Amino acid sequence: MPPPDDLVARAQAGDQTAFRELYREHVGRVYALCLRLTGDARDAEERTQDVFVRLWDKLRSFRGDSAFSSWLHRLAVNVVLNERRTTSRRERRVMSAEDPDGVGGAQHAAPLHLNIDLERAIAELPDGAREVFVLFDIEGYGHGEIAALVGIAEGTSKAQLFRARRLLREKLER
Amino acid sequence: MNERELQDAVGRLPKGIEPPHDLWPGIAARIDRRSWRRRLYWVPLAAAAALVLYLLARGERNAWDVTALAGRPLIGTTRLTASGRLRVGDWLQTDDSSRALIAVGRIGQVEVRPETRVQLVVASATEHRLALARGVIDAKVDAVPRLFFVETPAGTAIDLGCAYTLETDSLGKGLLHVTGGEVEFQTGQRMARVPLGALVQIRPASGPGTPYVDDAAAPLVRALIAFDFERGRARAVRNILALSRPQDALSLWHLLQRVNPALRGLVYDRLAALVPPPPGVTRRGALALQSRDLEAYWTKIQRIHFRLTVLRGVRRIDPRTGTTARE
Repeated sequence: MPPPDDLVARAQAGDQTAFRELYREHVGRVYALCLRLTGDARDAEERTQDVFVRLWDKLRSFRGDSAFSSWLHRLAVNVVLNERRTTSRRERRVMSAEDPDGVGGAQHAAPLHLNIDLERAIAELPDGAREVFVLFDIEGYGHGEIAALVGIAEGTSKAQLFRARRLLREKLER
Repeated sequence: MNERELQDAVGRLPKGIEPPHDLWPGIAARIDRRSWRRRLYWVPLAAAAALVLYLLARGERNAWDVTALAGRPLIGTTRLTASGRLRVGDWLQTDDSSRALIAVGRIGQVEVRPETRVQLVVASATEHRLALARGVIDAKVDAVPRLFFVETPAGTAIDLGCAYTLETDSLGKGLLHVTGGEVEFQTGQRMARVPLGALVQIRPASGPGTPYVDDAAAPLVRALIAFDFERGRARAVRNILALSRPQDALSLWHLLQRVNPALRGLVYDRLAALVPPPPGVTRRGALALQSRDLEAYWTKIQRIHFRLTVLRGVRRIDPRTGTTARE
């Protein structure tokens, strides 16, 4: 396994400048994951911040047993899913079809223009279906992993994926 | 849209999406707060740890080991089965069938006899202090002078490197019997020096009486008690002078400082007749209670007394000089 690169090592030693560089390098990937898992741009910003604060706390436990990006990705998934488990306050903020700026509302930037319909459709999925779809079809997790991460049965994961795909096709055909 | 087209569309989704604005300032602020919190988190922890260590160390230092020698003495309200710790402020109490042994730090030990109540007052490296409320203790200390003190209702026994038995009732009437070294007993300004083989009566109001040797004649002891604690002191003084032997010089040395000035000359002359003063000690200086004269005289009396006591039954010692007597 590759050892943690210099940036990671410096950040592990408490170098906030190095940590900021790590943030710059990985924030796009983390934000995309948070955005797709939450379906809400404002929530995604909050979770992205949560992920990097959590990363600062946990960074010393990274031993280089896996690629840093994979480790961070898993951390981000856990942060988002834990937040959903522990809060009941979240309201599903369905993006309005009339909102031309898409995912995050007018003041937030939209995903790439070509994919805007798909991103919107994903965001409109029910929470459970969206999480399974994002994790399986976009992030490449297996059903076993998703079941463990989300806290559902593997069969439920498969059923949610089936449901998500069907809903998406219907939305995109309209 | 079929399944294949959906998968193709998903495959074209970007892996990363830049957030609409820079999230770093919020992250940095939270990290800073956490860093400070984490740093400060150790402050109370460190303080608590230091306090615990201090209390533990203090607790160890401020406590003496106690062993039950008979029965089940009480420490506070706890019955001592075999051994325990007497902490500063704790009372150790024995009943009519129990005895205990207290380790006086690392410098000695005190046996607490039955029907005794004693409290640990100070337990530090520079001061070892008990309070004897009533009963009898046998103390044995091997240390430099003035490290071990026992307070009684009538005054304080100050160890000068010794062994002794101290008894008192709850009102402060008692007796100090020194069996090794020397002890000072002090009440206010009144002080008695009690070497081995000597005793002193103690009373609550007046403190230590005049010390006397343990083989002093009973009439002399009665006269001393009369002088120290009763009326008719002048007559008592004359009786003391008449009954004194050279071996009783330590009593006269104390008496010299306690009689009124009118009788002081009589006492000095009798003392000088029994044990001649050492060179340098003058009558005038002694009568003026000059400390140089009194200390020099005491040194001679003490040396003679020591030889008389430790060589008793072994060798005949001239009680006037402390030298070996001619057969």
